[in-house]
Amino acid sequence: MIATRSPIARLGIRAASPLAIMTGVYLLFAGHNQPGGGFSAGLVFGAVIALRTVTGLQTPRHANTLISIGIIIICTTAAAPLLVGNELLDQQIISTELPLLGKVKTGSALPFDVGVTAVVVGLIIALLHGLGAANLAKPAQPASRHTSSTTDAGAEV
Amino acid sequence: MLWILFSVHGAGIGAAVAAGQRSMHAALRTAAIAPAATGVWAIWSVFTNAEPRVYEITWVEALDLVIRFRTDSLALLMTAIVSGIGALVFVYATGYFSPGATGGSRFAASLLAFSTSMLGLVLADSVWTLFIFWELTSVTSFLLVGFNNTKVEVQNAARRALMITGGGGLALLAGLLLLGRSSGTTILTDLQPAEGTAGILAALLILTAVATKSAQVPFHVWLPGAMAAPTPVSAYLHSATMVKAGVLLMAVTGSAFADVDAWKIVGLALGISTMLWGGIGALRHVDAKLILAWGTVSQLGLLVTLLALGSGKAIFAAMSMLVAHALFKATLFLVVGEVDIRTGARDIRELGNLYKTMPFATGAAVLAGLSMAGAPPLLGFTTKEAAIEAALGMEGIEQVVSVVAVTLGAVITVAYTTRFLWCVFGPGPHTLVTERRLAMTIPASFLALAGIAGFIALGPVTTIVRRAATELNEKSNVYELIRWPGITTAFLISMGVLVAGGAMAVLLITRSQSARTNATAPSPLGANNADQALDGILAVSRRVTSFVQHGSLPVYVAVMALTASVATIPFFTDLTIDHLTWWDHPLQMVFALAIAATALVGAFVNSRLGAALTLGAVGIAVCGIFVSYGAPDLALTQLLIETIVVVGFVTGLGHLNREFPKVVNTWRSVRLVVSGLGGCAVVVALISATASPSGTAPLEVLAGQAVETGGGNNVVNVVLTDMRALDTLGEVVVLAVVALGIAALATQPEQAPDEEVMA
Repeated sequence: MIATRSPIARLGIRAASPLAIMTGVYLLFAGHNQPGGGFSAGLVFGAVIALRTVTGLQTPRHANTLISIGIIIICTTAAAPLLVGNELLDQQIISTELPLLGKVKTGSALPFDVGVTAVVVGLIIALLHGLGAANLAKPAQPASRHTSSTTDAGAEV
Repeated sequence: MLWILFSVHGAGIGAAVAAGQRSMHAALRTAAIAPAATGVWAIWSVFTNAEPRVYEITWVEALDLVIRFRTDSLALLMTAIVSGIGALVFVYATGYFSPGATGGSRFAASLLAFSTSMLGLVLADSVWTLFIFWELTSVTSFLLVGFNNTKVEVQNAARRALMITGGGGLALLAGLLLLGRSSGTTILTDLQPAEGTAGILAALLILTAVATKSAQVPFHVWLPGAMAAPTPVSAYLHSATMVKAGVLLMAVTGSAFADVDAWKIVGLALGISTMLWGGIGALRHVDAKLILAWGTVSQLGLLVTLLALGSGKAIFAAMSMLVAHALFKATLFLVVGEVDIRTGARDIRELGNLYKTMPFATGAAVLAGLSMAGAPPLLGFTTKEAAIEAALGMEGIEQVVSVVAVTLGAVITVAYTTRFLWCVFGPGPHTLVTERRLAMTIPASFLALAGIAGFIALGPVTTIVRRAATELNEKSNVYELIRWPGITTAFLISMGVLVAGGAMAVLLITRSQSARTNATAPSPLGANNADQALDGILAVSRRVTSFVQHGSLPVYVAVMALTASVATIPFFTDLTIDHLTWWDHPLQMVFALAIAATALVGAFVNSRLGAALTLGAVGIAVCGIFVSYGAPDLALTQLLIETIVVVGFVTGLGHLNREFPKVVNTWRSVRLVVSGLGGCAVVVALISATASPSGTAPLEVLAGQAVETGGGNNVVNVVLTDMRALDTLGEVVVLAVVALGIAALATQPEQAPDEEVMA
């Protein structure tokens, strides 16, 4: 659609993507003590993917794979405490000294959050596909002409 | 042991699916293993008279939900039939289907799944277990009847079978729950005699279930239709196993209804009318498989009649009949399948001279047919004697009715059996026959010979049947099957039946010889009406759906907003505004004004993109309010969501016109009223909700717990990932399901949905 003809948007989004991804990763790890968390991180990644999709940049496409991986991670995290005799979803906290970072405290909530992120990202990819976002960035094909004929080709973001 | 066998069945289903990728035959051979193993175990246990054992898994203890199986004599006998015949049917199917047949995974896996459900059904010892497996047999039988799923009449037949038998399952559940309530237990073997109105109601409900599953008039219409299934399925489901489920249910629950008159009266009415109507149906039809199907209906009627009589003798006769019928009817179906495959015809007017070309099949069919007609020296003869004896053993009006009915039913049985055998195998038009398939001949011959073996080894058979019957009625333990009864009343009746039936058959055959060329197949009485009734229900539901699910987004929104407005009416009664303040921080007023202004702009913007952007602005202003209240987490999430939503809008808008369509004035005023009402409702609800906060804010407690057990300072996140992690797990699964739904909606179906095709 719109932004494929706008090199500025394209360049801008391409440049912003790594920063946004870093923000997402930060939110994912910071979530336990500060604003953030798996859901927010997923939304940031999702926003990056959405913007890249509408500008026709390369994006991951495997919504189902991501969702499956997410659910597997979550269920594994949930069930793992059962193996050592604890209750379902019991939280384990690990605290170690790492070079450069100093004392790092993390827990089984982290993989749980990673799973949530994966599912949210997968859902957003599925939504974008459902809305036909990927097709918008391509030149109109004969098969889809009847839908794209109503597209407002001149609109700008 | 039982758990191992169930696991083998489960593994077998998976293995059959895998093997079906290679070929139909591989799938069938793989699937045969589980029933074969179970059959051997069951037959061994039956002959060694193994002690009954109870296998139990508690599911939800508080609700008395248990999966409970019991291996008593009756259950083991039924298991032997289900799994023994099942294994033979799998072998037979390798002959029935050509090696290159497609759908191997589906067929073999469904048939084994059915076999597993049936196994669970006959062994079930609790109300819930029985119900679950009962419905599972309905569902798997639906899959099997509808195996050739491209034909409309097959689809109709499968749907009819599912609706009738599955619907009967609901009656079963209601009846069993009533019975369980009055007995105070959900264990089948502990059910106490029922009485009073509840007893009558339970009896009627359970008889409905019996009638649907065991094809009693007027629910029998599904069974002839189900002959659309491949013949191995008919031989297995529609003669030996599934249709016996109703009879079995009647046998198991019979003792609880010994004092309920309705049980006996309705049961006899069902049984006798079915026995006679089924017999007449078998005489009317010209398709060999349909003749057998109607014959099955008739025989099931006889079984229900005997069980309704309920005396020790009748129960004993019913159990022996159950065994004999499974043997001879399965044989006949297997033979008809072989005839069908090797000649390409099932119409008895086109078949003839098969005794020359298919001697083994003819032999098996004649043995099984004579057993069905009740001719000596076969198992069917002694069981029919037992049935007549049981009828003679009743008193008063019951004796008269049951003797007349059983005799009449037997005469018709002899007549349609003779007609069937003569017309299919006897002299007639010469039918071309392809070469023999051993895999089909062997199982049929095996079952047919079992009929003779049963007559020769009548002692052990009596013992086994008596053991099963005694579990149902203690008075059954004195009876036995008799090889040569001497000149008794029952024997005389039996001989009279053979003569009368034979004469009737000769009459029919000579008449139909002259009418052979122009006779047409009779219409399936009742089946069309059942289909019409179903179509009517579907049409009504479609109309209701199109009314309720209007499909117009504005209408949905209007309905929801109006409903919400109506729901706030109770709050008006004690509305106070004393607790309201203008702001906690002046910035909040700025944000509030911004929200109001952007929302107002959004309402007047004509461009779709502009409207989307103003909505985004409203959301971001809401973020500001969150921040001013010190909820950064909430604000962050809101901000991100707004971003995604705006991008989503922009993406979606690509498909639409740039401007909103013009709105007519009436619709505009409707919108104004609805949004005004919705806005007022939200204000009222919020004011009254904040007026009287209840309880204490959980913040202190949560913050403490978050650091202590969750190891984090972000309370919201610790709640999500630790304290209420199970909720999050559920929500994530919901998200995944939503994604699946989107994928399904966004993908254009390549052809019309099944519903449309079937309608």
